[in-house]
Amino acid sequence: MEIALEVPQPRLRAVPSEAVPPAVDASDAELLERVGERNREAFEILYGRYVRPVFGLALRRLGDRGHAEDAVQEAFAAIWRSASTYRPERGAAGGWLYTVARNAIVDRLRRNGPAADAELPELASAEPGPAQQAEDSFVSWRVHRALEELQPREREVIELAYWSGMSQSEVAEYLGLPLGTVKTRTRSGLARLASVLEGEDL
Amino acid sequence: MSPEFNDLVGAEATGAERERLRRAHELLVQAGPPPELTPELRKGPSLSVVRLQQRRVVKRRAMLLLAAALSIAAVFAAGFAVANHPGGGSGKTVLAPETLALKGTAITPRARATLQVWHARSGNWPMTLSVVGLPKLPRHTNYEVYLVRNGKPWGSCGTFRVAGRSRAVTLTLNAPYALRKGDSWIVTRPGPAGGEPGKTVLAPVSA
Repeated sequence: MEIALEVPQPRLRAVPSEAVPPAVDASDAELLERVGERNREAFEILYGRYVRPVFGLALRRLGDRGHAEDAVQEAFAAIWRSASTYRPERGAAGGWLYTVARNAIVDRLRRNGPAADAELPELASAEPGPAQQAEDSFVSWRVHRALEELQPREREVIELAYWSGMSQSEVAEYLGLPLGTVKTRTRSGLARLASVLEGEDL
Repeated sequence: MSPEFNDLVGAEATGAERERLRRAHELLVQAGPPPELTPELRKGPSLSVVRLQQRRVVKRRAMLLLAAALSIAAVFAAGFAVANHPGGGSGKTVLAPETLALKGTAITPRARATLQVWHARSGNWPMTLSVVGLPKLPRHTNYEVYLVRNGKPWGSCGTFRVAGRSRAVTLTLNAPYALRKGDSWIVTRPGPAGGEPGKTVLAPVSA
């Protein structure tokens, strides 16, 4: 995927921003700061951490994978453009990124206009109201972002346990692992997830 | 269907730790599965300038250029209308404006300007001055455009300011005089005494 970026013209700088690559375990706030200095590596790390939450958010709001993919592109372009405006003292990086991504998605939604076949429902909808939808979206954002912090082997068993419909025995058989190992990884994955969500530097 | 917390965690975690895991479990259930990325999204950001953004930038620039072109066309159209207005003071018909090219003097060598003099209307000679390369003046001082007759500044045609050397300025001035053959114009800095022209900063190219 190509992200919309306005690559700055080269300038003489006392300390080139690309000189020191960002640490892979740098916090989101640190990465945002580096992105604000037009550091591409920081942007790629941030992209890896947030592409699924952004895509998930876009899918929820737009309901179409093509439009959602475009919205992701626009959201990351907006992040690149406005990263220098992020101020850590005003809030966590995750919340700032959520706002920028949501705004880009809403802009895309407005440009798409209402669905051609949209009709007013005759009966009260069982769908959650806007406030509940907003809360659900933010929970999904936080959890999907937190999943990126798990070890791949923990994440694999968590995703299979929660969303594949398989029992733990079936997950063990599917992965060719002892059942005890699957249970241990599930517990450690949940524990790490809890820590990340409690830390909430997202 | 969501898995049961007790089936996943068993009896090993207890107390506060068990509640932490339960909270994470509930959030996982509430969040639902993360989306499967499309192949394009999986590729990651390439950091090259994206076509979409590029198109927008190009479109924005094209719109600006179009607006600038329309403005220029509007100035010419207005001048043409003025030149052909039946109430013109001298009764002459001038279809095209007279254009005078001006260049910077020794104190403003990079300055350039064009002065378009439109046909008279009710005793006024509207002029359009486009200038670039003049330095910004101190506060409360202005450049002044002078009608030159017999080689000397003869009458003021208006004052103007600039924001800086790199900022082009286009403005409308007026010569409320009966122009004669051989009349010309210069642009001056403010003089030491009020009302007197200062040093010339723009003079006709042919001068």
